[in-house]
Amino acid sequence: MPTQNLVETHNLTKEYGKVRCVDSVNMQVPSGAVYGFLGPNGAGKSTTLKMLLGLAKPTAGDITLFGMPVKEKTRMKLLKQTGSLIESPSYYGHLTGEENLQIIQTLKGCSEKDIDKVLKIVRLEDARKKLVNHYSLGMKQRLGLAAALLGFPKLLILDEPTNGLDPAGIQEMRELICTLPSEYGITVIVSSHLLSEIDQMADHVGIIRKGGLVYQNTLESLHSHAKQQIALRVSHPAIALDLLRQDGITAAQEEDYLLLPMMDDAYVANLCKQLVSQNISLYRIEKREKSLEDIFLSLTGKESSL
Amino acid sequence: MKTSYGKAVHAERLKLRRSPVWLAFIALPIISAFFGTCNYVLNIEILKKEWFSLWTQHSLFLCYFFMPALIGTYCSYLWRLEHTRHNWNSFLTSPLPLWALYFGKLTQAVCMTVLGNAWIFFLYYICGKIAGLASPFPKEAMSWFFFGTVGAVAICCVQLFFSLIIRSFAIPIGIAMAGGIFGLLITNKGWGLRYPYSLYSVGMRANNPNLEIDMSAHLVNSLTYFFLFTALSILWLRKHEISAN
Repeated sequence: MPTQNLVETHNLTKEYGKVRCVDSVNMQVPSGAVYGFLGPNGAGKSTTLKMLLGLAKPTAGDITLFGMPVKEKTRMKLLKQTGSLIESPSYYGHLTGEENLQIIQTLKGCSEKDIDKVLKIVRLEDARKKLVNHYSLGMKQRLGLAAALLGFPKLLILDEPTNGLDPAGIQEMRELICTLPSEYGITVIVSSHLLSEIDQMADHVGIIRKGGLVYQNTLESLHSHAKQQIALRVSHPAIALDLLRQDGITAAQEEDYLLLPMMDDAYVANLCKQLVSQNISLYRIEKREKSLEDIFLSLTGKESSL
Repeated sequence: MKTSYGKAVHAERLKLRRSPVWLAFIALPIISAFFGTCNYVLNIEILKKEWFSLWTQHSLFLCYFFMPALIGTYCSYLWRLEHTRHNWNSFLTSPLPLWALYFGKLTQAVCMTVLGNAWIFFLYYICGKIAGLASPFPKEAMSWFFFGTVGAVAICCVQLFFSLIIRSFAIPIGIAMAGGIFGLLITNKGWGLRYPYSLYSVGMRANNPNLEIDMSAHLVNSLTYFFLFTALSILWLRKHEISAN
C-alpha cells in the first residue's frame, strides 16, 4: 500500500513569456503508484513532467522528489533514481540498440547485465544488434522505455509512451507499465490524453486542463463520480416536481425530463403509481448514467480527446 | 569505479562509433601536404630554406582555412548528436554534473585535434623525405606543434560554444571558416595573439617559420579563451530549457 508521496509539487507554475502553461499545480504521487497524468493536448502535461526532471525551470512553486527539493545541488542524486521517456524516444540512429543502451548504462553507472534484462523486458533481444535507424517507431519507443528502465530507478516518468505504437504494442506497453510497481518497486508517472488508456493503467489520476490540475485522486474515486440517475418524462412536469418534493425526493428538471437520484425498483414502481393517481401521464422512464467520459469532459472541456 | 568525467568521456566515445567525421582529419591534411609539396618541388629554385620552405607551403592553407573548418565540423558533429532525435532530454537527464558532460565533448574535440595535428607533422616529415631534404628535421617543429595544439584547443572551446547554442550544423562551420580567413588579416596586422582563430596559425608559425612569438602571451590568451568559452558553454547548459513541442 502506498504510504507516502514520492513526488509532490506545490503551486508549480511555468510561464513562457506571457503564456502560463502550468498554473499552480499541486501534484501528489504516492510511492508505488501508477499515476496517470491525463489532459488534452497542450494542457501542460509535458511541461510539468519536464519540470520534475529539471529540463524546464519553474517560474514559481516547488517540487519535491523522494523528499528532496529539485534544485541544482540535488539534481544528480535525484536523476540517479529516476528514469524518463519524454515526448519521443531519444536515440543515436547510427548505433545499434545495444550500443544506445551502453551509452545510458555508462552514464548511469549501472551494471552491464541490466542491458540484457531491460532488452528482455521490452522484447528487443532479437533487434539488439540492429541499427536504431532501421527500427520501427514502436521499436524505438520500446528502446526508449528500456533506456528509462536501466538501473531500475525508483521513479519512472513516461510522457505519452504509447504514441506511435500499434494496438498490440499499446496493449503490451500498458501491461508492462502495470507490472512495474509490483515486480520492480517502481513508481510510475504516465501521461496521456486518452482517458481509456489511463483507466487501464493507473491507480491514481491527475487531470490537467489549461495548465491547472482540475482533479486528483484515486482512479476508484473518479469512478465513484460516475453517477446513475432515473429520468422521467411526464405530461405535467411542474406538478410532478412538486409532488416529488413533497415526498422528500430531490429532483431536477432538465428539458422535458425530471432527473431523480438512483432508487430501487420497488420505489420507482410506487412513484409511478402515485403520479398516475394524480392524473399525470407517464411517457418514459430511463436509467441514466454519467460515464467516466462525461466526467472527464466536464473537467477538461469538450475539446478533449477520449 | 569511473569518475563522472570518465563516464562522460566513455559515453562520448561510444557515441562516435561508426561516425566517419574523423576521415576529414585524415584526408584534408593529405590534400594540403600533396599540393604544398608539389608547390615546393616546382619552386625549389626560389624556396631555398629546405624544411622551413616546405613548412611555408604545407601550413598556409592548412592553418588558416582547413584546420579551423575541420575543428568547426567536428564540434558541430559532437553537438549535432544531441540536437537531433530529442537527445537533449536524455543528455540533460544523465545523472552527471553538467561540467562533466561538457568536458566529455571537449575531450573528444581536443583528442581529435591533437591527433590531427600530429598527422600534419607526420605528413610534413614524410613529404620532406620524399622531396629529398637532406638537412635534419627542424627542432623548432616541437614548438610549432605545441603552440599550434594549444591554439587549436582554444578554437575547440569557441567552436563547441557556437555549435552548442546554434542548432544548425552548417552555420558554426561557416563561422569557423570565416574566423580562419579573417585570422589571416588579423595576423597580418600583428594582432594574431589576441584573436582565437589566429592562435593556431600563429602557434604553428604558418607561412613564417622564423616568426618570433610571445610564448607567454600565446599561452595566457589561449587559456583565457579556454576558460571563457568553457564557462559560457556550461552556463548555457545550466540555463538551457527544453521547451515543449
